[in-house]
Formats: sequence, C-alpha cells, structure tokens
Amino acid sequence: MIGFLSPLWLWALPLATLPIILHLVARRQPPTVPFPAVRYLEQVTRDHRRRLKLQHWLLLVVRTLLMLALLLAAAGPTVARDGLSGHAPAAMVLVLDNSPSSGAVTDGTPMLDRLRQAADAVLEKATAEDAVWLVTADGLARRASVGVLRTAIDSLAPSEIRLDLGVALAQARDILANDARVPEVVVLSDLQQSALSGATVGVPILVGLPDVTPPANVGVAILDPGPQPWSLGDNRVRVRLVGDSGRTSPMAVRLGNRADRPQLGTVGPIIEATLPAGTPGWWPLTAELDPDEFRADDRRSTLVRVLPLAMAQWDPSDAYLAAAAVTLRDGGRLREGSDVTLGWLGPGASVVEPPEDLAELGSLNRALERRGVPWRFGGPVVRDQMSDSGMLLPAVGVGRRLQLSYVGGAARGVEVTVGGEPWIVRAGEVVLLGSRLEPAWTGLPTSAAFVPFVDALANRLVRGEQALLTGTPGAPVQLPDGVDQITRDGRLWRVEGGAAWRPPATGIYLLLSGTDTLGALAVNLDPRESELATASRSQIEALWPGVRLAPLARIGEASFAAGARGHLRGPLLWLALLLGLAEMLLASFQRRAS
Amino acid sequence: MATTHGAARLDLLDPFEVSRLGGIEVVTEGLVEGFLAGLHRSPRRGFSVEFAEHRMYQPGDELRYVDWKLLGRKDRLYVKQFEEETNLRAMIVLDASRSMDWTGAPESRLTKFEYARRLSAALALVLLRQRDATGLVAFDDTVRLTLPPRVSRAHWMRLAVALGSLQPGHMTAAAPALRGVVERLRRRGLVVFISDLLLDRAPALHALKFLRHRGHSVLVLHVLDPGELELDGPAEVRFEDPETSAAVVLRPRDWAEVYRKTVREAIADWRLALRREGIRYHAIRTDLPFGRALREALVRPGGIA
Repeated sequence: MIGFLSPLWLWALPLATLPIILHLVARRQPPTVPFPAVRYLEQVTRDHRRRLKLQHWLLLVVRTLLMLALLLAAAGPTVARDGLSGHAPAAMVLVLDNSPSSGAVTDGTPMLDRLRQAADAVLEKATAEDAVWLVTADGLARRASVGVLRTAIDSLAPSEIRLDLGVALAQARDILANDARVPEVVVLSDLQQSALSGATVGVPILVGLPDVTPPANVGVAILDPGPQPWSLGDNRVRVRLVGDSGRTSPMAVRLGNRADRPQLGTVGPIIEATLPAGTPGWWPLTAELDPDEFRADDRRSTLVRVLPLAMAQWDPSDAYLAAAAVTLRDGGRLREGSDVTLGWLGPGASVVEPPEDLAELGSLNRALERRGVPWRFGGPVVRDQMSDSGMLLPAVGVGRRLQLSYVGGAARGVEVTVGGEPWIVRAGEVVLLGSRLEPAWTGLPTSAAFVPFVDALANRLVRGEQALLTGTPGAPVQLPDGVDQITRDGRLWRVEGGAAWRPPATGIYLLLSGTDTLGALAVNLDPRESELATASRSQIEALWPGVRLAPLARIGEASFAAGARGHLRGPLLWLALLLGLAEMLLASFQRRAS
Repeated sequence: MATTHGAARLDLLDPFEVSRLGGIEVVTEGLVEGFLAGLHRSPRRGFSVEFAEHRMYQPGDELRYVDWKLLGRKDRLYVKQFEEETNLRAMIVLDASRSMDWTGAPESRLTKFEYARRLSAALALVLLRQRDATGLVAFDDTVRLTLPPRVSRAHWMRLAVALGSLQPGHMTAAAPALRGVVERLRRRGLVVFISDLLLDRAPALHALKFLRHRGHSVLVLHVLDPGELELDGPAEVRFEDPETSAAVVLRPRDWAEVYRKTVREAIADWRLALRREGIRYHAIRTDLPFGRALREALVRPGGIA
C-alpha cells in the first residue's frame, strides 16, 4: 500500500495537467496564407507529420509525467517493502498516552497495561542505530536507550494530566524535524475522541487501535459550590455528572465530614444538593460516586469558605431595606449589630444608597474618598432601563439612578450594570448602589429577588468574597493579584500574583499572601477524561491525513515500517531528472529535425 | 516598337524593373533586341513551298525565287520566302493556371504568370526573328488559347496581344494541352512547356513523353518563385492552395528544412525524369533577369534550341 509523507501535495496533482492545458490554450486558428506549393507541404507532412505528431505527443506526455513525478515526489510516497527484515535507522517518537483515562479497566486489565505491552513490542524492534523519544502525558520528551525507556515505561502510572494527542504529534514533528534518520511517530493511546485534535505532522504516523471496548463510565464533571463565602446554615451545591448518556450512579456530596443524604445521580442534568455549614472556616467539599471501572473521575473536590451571619444595622426609615433586613433577621439570616451598615456609609462594611437629598452627594463622595473607595456618585439618570442579570440579581427595572464613576484607571468591582453603566459596585467592604432601594428609583424592592439580594449584600458581598479557583492538572491557571505562595499538603510553591501557574496534580491548593489565605485552587481531572468513547478510524484519518492504523496487539509488527518502506521520493526525483533530460533531448531533436 | 539600346539592357534587368516599362510588346522587343545582340544569327535558312513573305533580293539569292511579277509591278527585285525556309516550327505551351498567379514578394517580384507571360513573348520573338514559326497554347484545366505556328512578324503581334489579354485561370491540366500540340505540329518541331509544374505529374510527364515520341524537341521551363523554394512565415500558418483550396496547417520553422529538401528533390525528380526521355529541363527563378533566363534556357553550343 502506498502512503504519503506530505499528502497535502496530492491536492496539487491537477497541476500535472498544466502542459496539456497550455497546449490546448495555445491552439488557435492560424492565419491563412495562399501558397501554390501546398502539394509539396502535403508530401512533406505526409512523410513527417506522423513522426512529428508522435514527437509532439511524446513531448506532451513527458512534460505531464515530469510534473506528475515532481508533485508526487513532493508528496513523499512510500511503499511497503514486503519480506524485509530489519529497517533503516529510524528516528521514532513513541507517544504513550498515560492520561487519566488510561487507568480505565477493561476485562480486568487497565488500558495503560495494554499500552505498555504495545510499547514493549515497539521497542523490541528498535536497534542501537535508532533514536527513540518517549512522550507521555506530562509533555516531556525523553530520549534514552531502549533499556532505559523500558524501565521508564514500566514505572509509568496513569497521569492526572490530560494529553492532547494533536499537541503531542506537533511536538513529535518538532523533535523529528532535525533528525536525518527515517522518521516515524507511533501513537499508543486509548484514543478517546476528546483527546484527538488535528495535526499536520509531515512524517509517517502509526496509531495503535485498542482492541477492547472502553468500559461504561460515569464521572463527576462539575462541583459548583456557588458564590463564596457560604453562610452558616444550608447552602446549595450543584453537581453535574458526565459519561455514558443516561447512566446513573449513587452519589454523595460532603462538606468536611458532613454528608448530604446520598442520591442517585444521572449523567447530564444539573443535580442540586443542600449542605448545612455549621462552623466558620475553610471546608473541603466533595462529590463522590460509587467506584466504577474508571476510578479517577469518581470523586471531585473543592473548598468553600464558611462565615458566620453578618451583624448589621439599618435605618428603620428606609422602609424597604429595613423590611428586608427585619425579614432576614427574623429568618435567622441576619443579626443586629454594627459590623455591616445597610443604607449609608458606616465605619465598617457598608451598603451605600444614594442620599435622599442630592445636596449631600458632595459630602458623601468626600467620605468615600477618605475611605479610599475609588467610586463616586455622579449625576442623576432618569430613564426606564433594565439591569443585567447575574449571580447577584435577576434583571430588574431601573427608572432612576445616579451615575457611578471610577476614579483612576480602568473600573474594577462592577457587580451589576444598567444600560452598560455600573449600577452596583464594590470596593473592598463598601458596596455602592446606583439607586435608592425605593420603588420610585427601581423595581427591585418590590420584586421577589429583593430579600435574597439584601442577604447576599449583607452576608457575602460587603464582607469580601474569597477567591476560589478551579483548574486541571498541567493546565495553566491565572492566579489572583497578591498571591505569592501556594501550598498543598505541606508542599510550598513560590509564585507571582497575576501570573499563570500549572498545578501538578489534583487536590486543594491554598493561595497565600504571606500568612493570609487569599483563596483556594481546586484542581480536579479534566472532565473530558470521563468520556471514554474511542475515536473511529474515519475520525482519526480525517484528523491525521496519511495515518496508518494497526491493532494495538500487532503494533510491534507495524512499527518501524517507515524505515522498512521504500521511499519513492528519491526514485521519483531520478525519474523527474530523466524525464527532464528526455524532454530536453526531444525538444532539441524536434528543433534539429525541423 | 520601341527598342532599348541604351546602357541598360532590358534582358539583363530584374524582371520587376522590366515590368514597370509597360506593354508586353515593348518590353519583349527590348528584351529580345538585347538578347540577340549577344548571339550570332542562325545560319539555317531555307525555303518552303508555302509562301510566307517577300524580301529584297540580295546578291547570291537563287534566281528561281525572284518574284518576277512583283518586279513587273514595282520594278524592284524581291525574292519569295516560304514557310519551309523557317528553321523549325515551335509551339509555346504556357501554364495559365491559378497556381501561376502567385509571388512570394508582391512588391518586388512578378508573379510566376507575369514572368512566364513575358518570357513566352520574348521567346516567341526570338524564334520569330530567326524565322521559326511559333505558336502558342495557353491552358489551365482546359485549353484557353491556341495560336497556330506562324512565321510572320505580324504573328508576333498577335501572340503579344493574346498573351497580354490572358488571365490566370483555375486548375491545371497540362496533358490535354500538350496532346493538342501534336495536332498543331504535324512535322517535327520544338515544344516549349512553361509551367510551375504544380500539376499532376504522371499525365503531364506522359504527354511530354508522347511529344518526344513524336519526334519533337521538348523544352520544359520550370518557373519557380523563390518564395516556393523556402518555407517562411509566422509561428503557425494555414497554407492554402489557391487552386484546390487544400490546406495544411504547420509551423514553418519546424518544416523549413525538410520542405527545402523536398522541393529540391521534386526539381531533381523532374529533371531526371525529363532527361531520361530526352527532354531538356530548366528551372527558372522569377527573380532571375530575363537575359540569364533566356540564355540558360535556350542557348546551347551551336545555336538556339
């Protein structure tokens, strides 16, 4: 079977017809000249036309073949050389996909074991003249002797880092680019559909096709604790399962050691669980499924921050706000105290409404300035508009508001906007509302979302939310400003706030600034690893043109075939050279003959 | 008739220059005057039973040819001359087909037909000057014109007028014309066949052989335009035969050499085939001055034709 190193050149094959096209285009009606001695011409052409016509056609065929040979040579065809033992010195990149999904067990054998055996079979054929690189999920390319590589492969465990096979192939291409030996890339993977991405490698690729069907699987894809911090009492958690469609699995969600009642989770829809938070502090939150054949995705963890109820003060004359606060107090969501001021700028955390008398705006803005708040109240805007909807609020009508302007640079801390302009903003423990919480200003006080909104203001927003980041092993995470250290299980990483950082493994990482905890980073498996469905042949061939596929069990026999394949580029170039010479000879012979 | 005795002899001029002088008679007269000036007259003079014309008695003339009746009327001695005294009876067979009406250089060369017409007139005058009865047959695919051989000076005028009014015709069929000549020349004579020989070779050759077989001297003047000897033109040309409309499309550059060779071979074939039958052959290029053409064609050791 013929393969091609650069099959894209095959698209240029129609160019081989260029001589014929030019020949046809150049044919046109010549001028007519009266000439009485046409009988001589007829005699001449009768004797020579056949020969000349043959030469013309021969020249055309030679030119077309020349183009064809050059284009085919550019495509780099190779052909199997049956019956040959051994192979030419090869440069091989062995991509061994030990991503989390390689830990899935089928018929009692983890996929990684099958891949190891296949890798052994490939390395069995390697000779001392071959250069072999091993690329695994961690992205490192290791070049070593066959023995060392065997040891490395034997000690491989399923990694928590996802391997994108398209990226790995591009890496292999870069590795092989500077090696003069016969190149080949061997991909040993469970060939998850989600792990495949397009790649143009330009060297022969051999892919081992798993000969087992991946096990049915359900994994935890999303564990969302919602806005932080949690308050004492019940808090809602959202969970989403991923895997084989329609499958169910018993699921348990835990906060610390306290578990919600177990429930049956179904792949697909969002599942909600309610967890009571009793003690302030950082608490691990875990969603866990019953074990299946792929264990790595059966558990997902994060961290939540639990804080006690806010102790707030409010102005009883601020009718709507006061009513909401009383409701929250009576409902056990708020206590009376002076930690949080609702309605005006107090000494501590404050939710600030515009003053009833706009003449007081000046003094309010000066007070904000003294507190170091970079936001200022501006002029009134009287226009019926809708706020945007988000975690804090659904969309509500706003008829009157004061503009909120940021002092110094790009605005930060905008929580809700109206007409694209800031309406609710936060700076530290001060929240500014663009409208008074009265029906004359906004429909919010009379909406159902008002009391939860005041709850969120008092318990979460003004007290500052902790950063809770999520990530996957090996993938970069943008760290918040101010973070200078990351710690997990006693291990410490020094980092730079605002920069990207790649967590090495799953787990909960605390983001520190000195001794203060700024937040947490919950690192879990990439949810795509839970989808174990294997890519089809056609999908693989579409993504990697020219790829050769062989059963995983026979990958050893098929490997190093690039070196055992006859490269036709050389013969084709020789043929092109001969055709070029033939063309020159024919053309000059034709000129001489005429 | 005007004659030219000046510094420039017409018979040595370029044919195109000669053509500018106008009427065929004038030109031919000049040509022949110049031509004959370089030749000695034919010593072969004789008498015939068929009266042709009178001439002044000269000492030495036999008294039996003195026309006594004319002496009685005019009181001068004239002797009778008879057709039999002409050296021979000549017939010019002129190809007037369409293929003859062609020149490769219209601005500097005569067409083959114009050249052949002037050549025929000049040849006729040469023959008549030496008292050879001369006739003319012009043909294309049929016999277009026939003037029986006569020896009188007035006959040349008829020939010249007939040639002047002759226009190129259509196809070429030489055999009927040549066979017709046999009927006109009952005794052995000279047949001058002027053609570009772009005709069916076999019947023409057969007819010429027939003439030779009947004892006639045959001279073939192959009129060739230099443009026919070489193939030239733009990159690709459709060459069309004006007679048959047969066309050949080719690139002259590709075929020039082999064409040149083929034409040369064709001329050599004609020469060989005719010589084999005892027929004289001359290829005459239309860029050749008439003087040279006439000399090469007619003069041979011992006299004309």
